[in-house]
Amino acid sequence: MRKKRYTAKPLPPVELPELRLVGKPLRRVDALGKATGATVYAGDFFMPHMLHARVFRSTEPSARIRRLDVSRARALPGVACVLTAEDLPDSRLITDIPGQTGQRVRKGSEAPVLASDRVRYVGEPIALVAAETPEIAERALELIEIEYEPLPGVFDPIEAMKPGAPVVYEPDNIVARWKIRKGDVRAGMEMADLVVENTYRVPFVDHAYIEPEGGVAWVDERGVINIRVSTQVVEHFRSIARAVGVPHNKIHIIGTMLGGGFGGKEDITVEIFLALLAKHTRRPVRLVYTREESLIAHSKRHPFIITHRTGVRRDGRITAAEIEMISDAGAYPYLSPYVLLYAVVMATGPYRIPNVRVDGVTVATNNPFTSAFRGFGGPQAAFAYEQQMDEIARALDMDPLEFRRINYLRTGDQTATGQVIESAVWLEETASRALEALGEKTPDQGPVKIGWGFASYFQSYGRITWLHDTSQAWVGLELDGTVVVRSGIPELGAGQVNSLAQIAAEVLGVPLEQVTVYSTDSALTPLAGTSTATRGLYMSGNAVLQAASTVRRVLLDRASKHFEEPPDNLDLADGRVFVRGRPEESMPLAELVRMCAAEGLPLSNLALFKAPFTDPLDPENLQGRVFPDFTFGAHAVEVAVDTETGQVRVLKNVACHDVGRAINRAAVEGQIEGGSFQGLGYALLEEYVVKEGRPQSVTLSEYLIPTSMDFVPTKAIVLESGTGLGPFGAKGIGEPPLTPVAAAVANAVADAIGVRVRELPITPERVLEALKRAS
Amino acid sequence: MEPKLITLTVNGHTHHVALKPNVTLLHALRQMGYIDVKDGCEKGDCGACAVLLNGRAVNSCLVLAWQADGAEVLTAAGLGTAEHPHPLQEAFADVGAVQCGYCTPGMLIAAKALLDRTPYPTEEQIREGISGNLCRCTGYAKIIQAIQVAAEKISPAASPAKPE
Amino acid sequence: MLPEFELLMPRTLPEALEMLAEHAPDVMPVAGGTNLIPDMRSGRYRLRWVVNVASLLELQAIRREDGWLVIGAGVTVAQVLDDPLVAQYAPVLREAAALLGNPLVRNRATVAGNLADASPAADMAPPLLALDAEVELASNQGTRRVLLRDFFLGVRRTVRQPHELVTGVRVPLPPPRSVTAFYKIGLREADAIAVASGAVRMDRDESGRCRLVRIALGSVAPTPIRACQAEAALEGRLPEPEPIAEAARLAAEATRPIDDIRGSATYRRHVTEVMVRRTLTECAARSTE
Repeated sequence: MRKKRYTAKPLPPVELPELRLVGKPLRRVDALGKATGATVYAGDFFMPHMLHARVFRSTEPSARIRRLDVSRARALPGVACVLTAEDLPDSRLITDIPGQTGQRVRKGSEAPVLASDRVRYVGEPIALVAAETPEIAERALELIEIEYEPLPGVFDPIEAMKPGAPVVYEPDNIVARWKIRKGDVRAGMEMADLVVENTYRVPFVDHAYIEPEGGVAWVDERGVINIRVSTQVVEHFRSIARAVGVPHNKIHIIGTMLGGGFGGKEDITVEIFLALLAKHTRRPVRLVYTREESLIAHSKRHPFIITHRTGVRRDGRITAAEIEMISDAGAYPYLSPYVLLYAVVMATGPYRIPNVRVDGVTVATNNPFTSAFRGFGGPQAAFAYEQQMDEIARALDMDPLEFRRINYLRTGDQTATGQVIESAVWLEETASRALEALGEKTPDQGPVKIGWGFASYFQSYGRITWLHDTSQAWVGLELDGTVVVRSGIPELGAGQVNSLAQIAAEVLGVPLEQVTVYSTDSALTPLAGTSTATRGLYMSGNAVLQAASTVRRVLLDRASKHFEEPPDNLDLADGRVFVRGRPEESMPLAELVRMCAAEGLPLSNLALFKAPFTDPLDPENLQGRVFPDFTFGAHAVEVAVDTETGQVRVLKNVACHDVGRAINRAAVEGQIEGGSFQGLGYALLEEYVVKEGRPQSVTLSEYLIPTSMDFVPTKAIVLESGTGLGPFGAKGIGEPPLTPVAAAVANAVADAIGVRVRELPITPERVLEALKRAS
Repeated sequence: MEPKLITLTVNGHTHHVALKPNVTLLHALRQMGYIDVKDGCEKGDCGACAVLLNGRAVNSCLVLAWQADGAEVLTAAGLGTAEHPHPLQEAFADVGAVQCGYCTPGMLIAAKALLDRTPYPTEEQIREGISGNLCRCTGYAKIIQAIQVAAEKISPAASPAKPE
Repeated sequence: MLPEFELLMPRTLPEALEMLAEHAPDVMPVAGGTNLIPDMRSGRYRLRWVVNVASLLELQAIRREDGWLVIGAGVTVAQVLDDPLVAQYAPVLREAAALLGNPLVRNRATVAGNLADASPAADMAPPLLALDAEVELASNQGTRRVLLRDFFLGVRRTVRQPHELVTGVRVPLPPPRSVTAFYKIGLREADAIAVASGAVRMDRDESGRCRLVRIALGSVAPTPIRACQAEAALEGRLPEPEPIAEAARLAAEATRPIDDIRGSATYRRHVTEVMVRRTLTECAARSTE
């Protein structure tokens, strides 16, 4: 960085309406239950006569199953059931975009529920066991006999694209391609004074939520298969119904409070196995993964290889960008095509670039399968584009913030796909604030060099607009004036449920404690879609706002007759209805509710919120709208690099994001602090090591996530432009805080030592290698 | 592998339970209904199963239940209830130190052990004190803050952080 | 879930030793369990018998005995951290103890168990090697003492026979003007397994020359090791930058590291040289204070 201090850019004037509860750092409705140990998670639920399940998994990355014999396991006393692919009505696990109606199933995208003749990755499920005790289930696993015929595997996406490479599944290893074609890249490059080209690499990483996957299932007297499970997506009931061979309405998902998910509980985990075993045994079944199994069984974040070629003029204006992205889809596609789409759409970063060419491809290998993880391709893209921006600034001998300022998107500009951004774009506002908060630079000390780095980013909130996302919510009043919210949205831990309560309390004028939210049930709560894609608050928040506002109108209309005042002159707060400006003219809400009830007025409302709907874009050019909107922000760090040991320490750590409007300020800060720590882990610690398809990081002492000692806590600066599409102008802040962090750290390391580590994680060894290359 | 009757006093309640020798304290407690003791790795890497064993914070997954015969065990649920929360529980809830909540019981136990020994901890001591408890949601900032808030509440006098 | 085993609960040391003798070799003592329990769970050990030695009163104390500091085999790493005798006579052990595992693990893990487990990365080994510690082994046949440097045979292998129990670690009290330092390079700031670790000790005479030097290294060979040539290179000399650099270079040469998930052999050797140089330099500076 060229400056010794940075000054925050003044904010444009914003007028946010004063609200009573929204925006306040209120105690979350789920907090005390969790803090007193009363919350019953998926693995904490037990039933009478319950069986205990285990999964038999492949130990080979690529092999034919020559022989599978479960007869000895079946014969073991205490074993209730052993299932293999032969026993399933339909062994395909349809990896549809979850929760979506009318979505086309991609050809060749089906992972088997249980492998039958062929295994494609280590950990692939082959057989299920249910037994009277966990010990017997474990013993039964040991009695399953299997013979593999190893087949050639392919473990690198570039190798996998070469002619003659082993084919993971027919017809070839190309899972999906996406392209952006905007303007004339050749002309743009010709206009450039300088072309900068670099390649960046990121590894497999794991979500490492503290709660391993788990659940309990049972068949009830109606023949309904009930599954109490930790999931981000209750709508998987449809895929489960298909695989189990029952109608959709015979699968009931009861979602629990999640002990973390971050995308790793977005795909189906234990629930399909539970459903199958419960159906076959007609007994309750429990399946909870061990940590080791969790690390092997669920998806990983995609490794990417990203090459940027950027044309730029001496004055700092970017004229063209040519970007190639290759991601490792692992053994089955799952959400890889969509993750790649996100990465491609965000590949340029939040910059005005007239001529853009992006070529993305995601490739099958015999590695662990890859799918959703907080940011969904965005962090990989940002790691590349934000280092590239620093590289260009250095080549131009410009300050990196000044260089970005010239190219930052502004409201009304078009992204690389031609989507016009209508909300506030506070890129310079957030970056300059994060940098300002670094204060003065710490001096170098001998071999320990200090560096500053930052990264800006954009990250979508809400799902791809051609997926036609909807969310329903039900809000109602009880006769005592308390409020019930029903929404299918899963509580991932981020405060999804609390924000709904806070919105309903705001609109209906009751204290937060008087709202009870029933959530995450595929049958008893209105389907709200997934807790993914930073869509929870945007979609379900709007649905609750809509439903609560309808109920509010009913209340105020009735009160209007009573007070003989127009409804607009009335308000609801603290459990009372009153005349604005004359609070002494009031009555308890409960009384008004009873009045309404006596007259048969509707005291509840089921609302459906629709995101913008668009048609799919041409995959050959991707020109048009892809997302509802974007969140913008920045992360800045000061690091100390020990040039003799290669160790990197984070000395200062600041995040600044425009969240549109904070519904619960503490929860927003919590997302920023937590997301940024995942980003710091991504930057410096985390790699899920896979050698020739064999996972090496199968415990939490090998897969290292940040402890409290690793990094200074993140200083979170929350800005509110009020321009988001969510309730009260909120944007989304679930995924975004992670996105810029690794690039910020990489830029800081480069600033400290003058050479760049272009690969994650930035380990001491990689730092020393970079120093060696430079000298 | 015959079961043996052992005595465990958990959150003030004395239990006599017959357990096999290969049962860890974690599984014993969960079987007894103390499901607030969480299973995160069974290897001592995550701290989700932390309890106070005779006043010392330990990973209950690394203690054989027989080794705890006769011991006093305190779990997070034993600290307080929703009606009468412990200051740590209240502070965790109030400042937003609880997100998914799965690490919270173990984190509370580590915090309790820390404050029992160090009533006026510095930020560094707090970070050190909870360094065996992984949290993937919060980035630890609000957990550290909650422990500071609780420390002031538990031992208000002579708090060096706030000179009178 | 742990595999099946029989757990024996002796009340006295002699009783424990009888049990070990009776069931050897298919037997292992357990105290803190922080290594043994995960190892049984992962299948590294399949044992028929386990003898609980955690509660044996004979093994609980840290005491001064003649010219020795004696740490009983039941003493936890957390106790070491709190102990005034350790702070006074073996501060380097305290330094290493503060970096072993995490607070929850330290409340269970014992110093003796850390040694007996014989991981090349055992955090307690380098400081105790630097202090010329001895390990006390007991069986129903009697007691023997082994220099710690002779205790380790290989990765997870020691001279302890299956019927023997490590009953304590004995550290000779250091002379005046003995200065020590510890380092640990891990991939994380807490709860990290050492990529490389080391303890150095510098005893100087009145002229300021190094009378005795100890350089003990962890995670860079199949066992924790001493870098004897490096020590010799500094003994009899003033701890000035050049001989220190020479000693550090020789220490790195003494390593026989491997590549693993945490680090490469090349890095381990390199960082050993850097850290030995730094810690020796720190000792030289401190001993002139």
